[in-house]
Amino acid sequence: MSDLQHIRNFSIIAHIDHGKSTLADRFIQHCGGLASREMAEQVLDSMDIERERGITIKAQSVTLDYTARDGQVYQLNFIDTPGHVDFSYEVSRSLSACEGALLVVDAGQGVEAQSVANCYTAIEQGLEVLPILNKMDLPQADPDKVKLEIEEIIGIDASDACPVSAKTGLGIEDALEYLVEKIPPPEGDREAPLQALIIDSWFDNYLGVVSLVRVKQGVLRKRDKFIIKSTGKSHQVDSIGIFTPKRLETGLLQAGEVGFVVAGIKDIQGAPVGDTLVSAQHLDVPALPGFKRVKPQVYAGIFTISSDDYEDFRDALAKLTLNDASLFYEPETSDALGFGFRCGFLGMLHMEIIQERLEREYDLDLITTAPTVIYEVLKKNGELVQVDNPSSLPDVGDIEEMREPIARCSILVPQDYLGNVITLCVEKRGVQKDMQFLGAQVSLTYDIPMAEVVLDFFDRLKSVSRGYASLDYGFERFEAAKLSRLDVLINGDRVDALAIIVHHDQVQYRGRALTEKMKELIPRQMFDVAIQAAIGGKVVARQTVKALRKNVTAKCYGGDVSRKRKLLEKQKAGKKRMKQVGNVEIPQSAFLAVLKVDS
Amino acid sequence: MLTELPPLGLYIHLPWCERKCPYCDFNSHEAQVIPEQAYIQALLQDLDGELARAQGRQLSSLFIGGGTPSLFSAAAIATLMAGISARLPLAKHFEATMEANPGSAEADKFAGFRAAGINRLSLGVQSFNDAQLQALGRVHSAAQAHAAIAMAGRAGFDNLNIDLMHGLPGQQSERGLDDIRSALSYQPTHLSWYQLTIEPNTLFHKRPPTLPVEDTLAAIQEGGEDILVAAGLSAYEVSAWSLPGRECRHNLNYWSFGDYLAIGAGAHGKITWPDGRIERYAKRKQPKEYMQAQAGAFTGSQRWLSAEDLPGEYMMNALRLAEGTELQAFTQRTGLSLETIEAPLAALSQRGLIEIVDGKLRCSAVGWRFLDTVVAEFF
Repeated sequence: MSDLQHIRNFSIIAHIDHGKSTLADRFIQHCGGLASREMAEQVLDSMDIERERGITIKAQSVTLDYTARDGQVYQLNFIDTPGHVDFSYEVSRSLSACEGALLVVDAGQGVEAQSVANCYTAIEQGLEVLPILNKMDLPQADPDKVKLEIEEIIGIDASDACPVSAKTGLGIEDALEYLVEKIPPPEGDREAPLQALIIDSWFDNYLGVVSLVRVKQGVLRKRDKFIIKSTGKSHQVDSIGIFTPKRLETGLLQAGEVGFVVAGIKDIQGAPVGDTLVSAQHLDVPALPGFKRVKPQVYAGIFTISSDDYEDFRDALAKLTLNDASLFYEPETSDALGFGFRCGFLGMLHMEIIQERLEREYDLDLITTAPTVIYEVLKKNGELVQVDNPSSLPDVGDIEEMREPIARCSILVPQDYLGNVITLCVEKRGVQKDMQFLGAQVSLTYDIPMAEVVLDFFDRLKSVSRGYASLDYGFERFEAAKLSRLDVLINGDRVDALAIIVHHDQVQYRGRALTEKMKELIPRQMFDVAIQAAIGGKVVARQTVKALRKNVTAKCYGGDVSRKRKLLEKQKAGKKRMKQVGNVEIPQSAFLAVLKVDS
Repeated sequence: MLTELPPLGLYIHLPWCERKCPYCDFNSHEAQVIPEQAYIQALLQDLDGELARAQGRQLSSLFIGGGTPSLFSAAAIATLMAGISARLPLAKHFEATMEANPGSAEADKFAGFRAAGINRLSLGVQSFNDAQLQALGRVHSAAQAHAAIAMAGRAGFDNLNIDLMHGLPGQQSERGLDDIRSALSYQPTHLSWYQLTIEPNTLFHKRPPTLPVEDTLAAIQEGGEDILVAAGLSAYEVSAWSLPGRECRHNLNYWSFGDYLAIGAGAHGKITWPDGRIERYAKRKQPKEYMQAQAGAFTGSQRWLSAEDLPGEYMMNALRLAEGTELQAFTQRTGLSLETIEAPLAALSQRGLIEIVDGKLRCSAVGWRFLDTVVAEFF
């Protein structure tokens, strides 16, 4: 066990692709946390989806024993943070368990907007931020320019920024020394009564709830009784220890340390993230500040294709929210899709990942409807309502004014791509608020309707800047706008789950693009399928999926049925991925057609 | 438990062809010389092993398919037929069909086949247009086809089927209808009239020909139906047309989920046992392996149908028939109660794809055109 002076708790702030996970892997390797044969690449990204997409979604931690050049052994607790703009909430959670953060910047690409935002969060929380220049092995590395950028854009001293290459292993030990030297040890009285913060909780099918905690004061031991502050419920520690990154029981966690606690909590809401653990003998110890709840920015309905799966779906959502407090859900009923949930997400990536996790980890077949932001509607009777679902928009006659959310967007872009980025911002109905030239980069501030930002702005921004522009955004205000609900009618019947809210200027274009895309996605059926887009009663676009003339195997020799059987079984399996709306079979993908429209 | 075993047919596969057609996905093999004697011996030895499956039933029909069965000599067919009737009792109105290619060499044997006991001939004409026949890779000409039909009549085949395909590469709708008119000029008792479909594992699948567009296919289909109906034929099955009373009994037995023994390379059989179990099996596919097989080793694969298999298997056959099926027959032939198919029946009749009248189930006119959609509901 380490005394406080020999503990360092840190996070890594980095933009996607700037090499955070690779650097973490190097640290683990250097400290001998895993034998090299166990080093699956990027060991901390443990969810399949994280590995596949090369991004971090959930906070993870690892405890490393580092023998420094002064001969002393330090306990390094590294708490991983997600790097995508959608997950900034997770970042502040991870940072609250640390005394310092490494700001990893690609020495070729320079500072990115997301890192700027996260650095500010770290500085606000009183963390020591240490700049690390990564990818020094690449020919385009320009450390002096990037140091200058760090100082100009973020405003921290970068003169002794540590040059490394996580890929080749260059400077890894220097970085560890730098970390031990600069990041302050944690404070906390080990003799005082227990006070520990839940950084993360997740559900394990064998163990029940597993929580990642940071002990602020006192000691928590195996078989100790503790109370969860918010629920007031008492639990006994079954297992306690650290991640190396394998789970290793240590029997106790002391003030300053980070590790896991398992206490036989079966109720998935039993150990909420941000809650405080105190000793059962010292109930008067106050709760720690916890985390600010973030408001979801994007809402979509999720339904099971088979109504038999509804209960499983509800359980799965409950389990997911345990360690993803930013996921919001409430029951929703759709005429077309039946019972499901309206879910709120931090952004589109978050939405995709949740759907993927539900389908993969819980084996559900789901339909997600077109995502929407939250609108404010002032009714003629003076009532102000918030609408997160196009189908629950009040009657047009009752609406005095519709207001859309505006996002304040901070964009960092190399000068070469400035023109492209400005064009994109204008196309997305953006209003420029500020523009500053900082070194080789330009810092742009735009107010852009949230609906445009969450849809595909980030991807478009990346493509018009060859990946160099970066984005951070947050909700700014509601603003009056000319908006309408674009309904989609299938064979004359309005399908509630297909409605979207659009700006008046885009009605024609969106209506046409949406119906064209749906025509591609809906397979031919026994009758013509008319797809119409309409505002109020007025049809603005129409497409027809022509009927199949027939679907019958012409020749069938009764003798050998095997091939025909396979054909019919395949047809049946394909049908399971369809939703019957009225008489029309609509594939899952058509409900998200709005996202697949080429812009 | 089944109260009564279904009627029994016998399928015999003769696997050789002069040339394999590019659309054909049956178990057929090109050969210049056919080991006739050895193959007939193998067939009869195979049949010895099948006798237990007959369970004392008499044969109501047999069907010799291929390949090109008419490549065999009349003497070989006579040996085969004699061997069969020596082993199994034949029903009173026994139907014995043989497939024949309308080439001149084959036509000369028709009388011999008739004398051997074959009483129904199925001629693989496919088209009366030389260009189309060539595109299909057929070895015969239009003139040979005409001659073969005439020869079949002279040989005493009053029960004659003409196989015709439509939707052929580059076919215009008038050409497709001309083929039907040509066939009808012979007043055939039976027509198998079906659209060319490209099957996997065929030459056409690898190098697809240009097929007519959907509108042309529909024009041929609808125009052809009108002509056939006017000629007094009716479609008793999706692709099978006949004069009243001249339906192919062997095929009807397939479609009504009857039983059939199978002998010959790659032949498929289906047998119901008194305890209610139903088996499907197939003989070894390669002619060489088949002929070398010892007694009892002819079978290549065998499986028992499960309760989940049965509704789909029954319906994919029974609903091909215009008159459909008695619901009671479903229970009789599968041993399952009607409750097992209650849900799909309700859904399909609500969509207007099937009709249930007086205990009889059949497809509606629309349902018949979308038969695969209908049948998929039972899987």
